[in-house]
Formats: sequence, C-alpha cells, structure tokens
Amino acid sequence: MSIQFESLSFRYPGSGSEALRGVSAGIDAGVVTLVTGMLGAGCSTLLLVAAGLAPRVTGGDRQGVVRTLGHDPESQEGHHALAGRVGLLLPTPWTQLSGMSYTVRDEVAFGPANLGWKRDQIADAVDQMMALMRVEDLAQRDPRTLSGGELQRVMFAAVAAMDPDVFLLDEPTIELDPRGARLVYDLLPQLAEDKTVVIASTDLDRAVEVTGRALLLDRGRLVADGDPREVLGSASAASMGCSTTIAGIMRSAGLEPVYPLTVHAALRRLGR
Amino acid sequence: MILGFVPGTGALHRLHPFTGLSLAGAVVVLAFALPAPGGAIGLSAALAVLGLWSRLPRVLRTAAVFAAPFWLFLSLIHVVFGDDPTRALTVGGQITAILLGFLLVLASVHPGRLVDALLEKRVPFSMAYLFAATLQAVPRLQARAGIILDAQRCRGLPVNGPPWRRARAVVPLTIPLVLGALAEVDQRAIALESRGVGTPARRTPLAPPEDSALDRSIRVSLLILSAGVVLIRVIG
Repeated sequence: MSIQFESLSFRYPGSGSEALRGVSAGIDAGVVTLVTGMLGAGCSTLLLVAAGLAPRVTGGDRQGVVRTLGHDPESQEGHHALAGRVGLLLPTPWTQLSGMSYTVRDEVAFGPANLGWKRDQIADAVDQMMALMRVEDLAQRDPRTLSGGELQRVMFAAVAAMDPDVFLLDEPTIELDPRGARLVYDLLPQLAEDKTVVIASTDLDRAVEVTGRALLLDRGRLVADGDPREVLGSASAASMGCSTTIAGIMRSAGLEPVYPLTVHAALRRLGR
Repeated sequence: MILGFVPGTGALHRLHPFTGLSLAGAVVVLAFALPAPGGAIGLSAALAVLGLWSRLPRVLRTAAVFAAPFWLFLSLIHVVFGDDPTRALTVGGQITAILLGFLLVLASVHPGRLVDALLEKRVPFSMAYLFAATLQAVPRLQARAGIILDAQRCRGLPVNGPPWRRARAVVPLTIPLVLGALAEVDQRAIALESRGVGTPARRTPLAPPEDSALDRSIRVSLLILSAGVVLIRVIG
C-alpha cells in the first residue's frame, strides 16, 4: 500500500473536536482515489496527514498509524525519506508560492531545485510539466500577477515537476475554468497508472468520470469506501449532498438508489 | 511607494547581490563618517543620481516621502526653535542617505538571486531563505494592507481623504494585518514543506549570479573607502 491509515484520529490545536476520527483505509496506485465529504469532513486534513504536514507543521495531535510509502511521515526519518516523493497541491495556489521567484518558470523549478537535482534535469522537468499543463506562454510572467486559474495550473506543474510517487491534490480544479478542469481530469488517470493519485474534491460531476475509488467522510469519520458508483450513488451520499447533479435529480425524481452519477448512467438506468 | 524588489535591467540590477548589500552597508558607515553636513548631503545626492541611472526614480520618491517628516521635525527643532541648522542638515542628510541606500538595494536585489548567491557561498538554504524573506517582509505587509484596505473600502469604510480620516482607517487595519501576517507564517511553512524545502538534499542554485571582476572591485573599493574614511575620522 502506498498510503495506509489505521484508526487515524487528528485534532487541530485549540479545536474542541476531532477533524479525523478512527479512519482506517489503504490507498494504492492504479486508480484515481477520490476523497470527498461536506465542508469540515476532514478531506484536506487527511491529505495533510498523509503528506506529513499535519501535525508536524500545522500542530495538533495525531493518534493511530499512518504509513506513506512505508514510512511514518510524522517522524524525522519519514520526513527525510519522503522528501520529494509526496506532492501536495493546496486548494489555494497563491499560498503555495515560494515567494522567491519572479517568473513562472523559476516558480515551477523551485521544488526540483530544492531536491538537489542537476540543472539539466530541472530544466527538462520544468519544460515537460509546463507543456503538460499548457502554461508555457506564462513562463516569463510574474507568478503574483496570474489569475487564480493560471496559478492553479502553474502550481500543478510545479508539484508534478518534482516527479513525486504520490500526488495529493486538494481541490485541484477549484480555480479552473471548465477547459482547465478538463485538462486536469484527463491527466489524472494517466498519472495514476504508475503513481498514487488522491484527490480531495467536491467537484463530483467531473471527478466521478476519472475516479476508480471513492472515500466518503462525514465529520471526520470514513462512512463509505469503494466503487464511486456505489459510494456516491448511495442514498446517504445523496442526502448529504455528496453526489453528482445527476444523482440529485434522480433522487428528486423519486428513483430508487443506487442513483446513477452521470448522464450516460442515467440514460442506461432509464432504458434509453 | 516602492519598498521591495522592482524588476528591471538598470545598473544596480546587474550587480551581484553581495555588491548591492555592500553598498547599503557602506552607505551607513559613510553617512556617519564623512564630514558633516556636506558628506551626508553629497552622499544622498550621489545615491539619487545612482537611482536615476539605474532607472529607479520611484524609489527616490519613496525615500523623499519617508525622509520628509524627519526633515520637517529637524527643521522645527534645530532651525525654527533652535539655532543649529548645520545639525538639521547633518542628521537629515544621514537619514536620507541611509533610506536611499536601503531602498535602492531592496528595489534592485532580486530575493531569488540573493538566495542563489548565498547558496553558492555554502550558506544553508534555511538561513538564505530567512534572510531574503526578511527583505520582503515590508512589501508583503504593504501588499496585504492594500488588500485589507480595498476590502474595507468595499464595505464603506472611508480610507482616503484628509490625514485625520486616513489615520482613523489605520485602526481597523491593524488587527487583520497582524493576524493575517501570523496566519501567513503557517501557510508559508506548509507551502515550503510541500515544495521540497527542508529536505536533506542541498538545493541547486538555478541561476547563480555571476560575481564579476567589476563586482569584486566595487566591493573592495567600498570597503577601502569606508575603512579609509573611518580611519581619517578617528585619526583626525
């Protein structure tokens, strides 16, 4: 397993309640794994814990076992072993800027440079990922002048340029227009062929098209884990609002669960 | 107002970051060691010319805005209510020269280049980053204050107009500015950790600035000049 949680609980400092409560799950490469839930469900916290940033940077109290690529990310040994092997994309790309770069190209190169790569290797990775995310035209722009969508694509390129084994993507399309979001979602299954890809997203209409597994969190508890069609098409997911627009419509129309999640699935279900 | 790096290709921008920092250091020494009041005034004038030559006229305006209150109070104390205009010229000149020196260096030294230059000298990345980030602290706060003021203006708070009205706008600005800055520390820590900072590997300087013979000779000249002026001052 690339990522393993066993009875994981987490509480932020000064918080009266736990952000995660007894979560147990294993995540591996091969399919895109979706983590979803209502606001405050703990999806972002789960990614921060897997990346080792919670509680090491955020503070707080973690209970239970976490193994990322076989290491405890909270330990010093794990921190060093996982350096550059776990790529975390934050939902607020402007807070992920290095603050040291005055061009987009330098910003994308910031991560690989920190990993001590050779300059040629950095240049190749930067060129490749900027092309992949279609941000080559922005190469000489000041990152602070980019729009939210441009910045999110740049930060995706910046994380991918580090060539991590695990991608932890927190709302990777929240700033993107439909075309930009499509670009990212088309890329994720390719990435997941040999990397572990976890996305925390509430953009379920698009996410369900590329995910092979869904984890549904409710106030810190893992309430469902499995095939997205079953997890997100369930009555409980639909009643929580953690399903697709189509599933919501089918539920309103009085259809019995499991609700279809996409237009195609709905048409099949309705026999058309 | 210009309180941070301004992209450009002027003379100061082309210098090695250490040369810029040496200039700022030498200005502090020379402002106090050169004969008063002409030395500090002349130094300010020389820096103003350097700023214009380096295509940083807005930095001169910023320095003038900051220096103006000092000149006003010095004039009141030493000229209007006192009888020592030389003292006013000396202190005013020193303040202006130091302000100009630091603002010109801040505007022309790219933090990324400074980090790369420090890494070339085997300074640990954490220290290099901390040093460069410190130079950016004021422009960051300035930008954050602008965002908060815009937000408050959107909600109907008058932030323009006469000085007393602007002063009143400072109070509701302070708390979000301070709390926001503290929250940014956490965000920055997460951002840097997620970008490979803190790994055991030694960071690769992406484009280490060239430390040319001209840069080295400027630094040596500034050192000799500063030491010489101090020596003459002590002996004399």
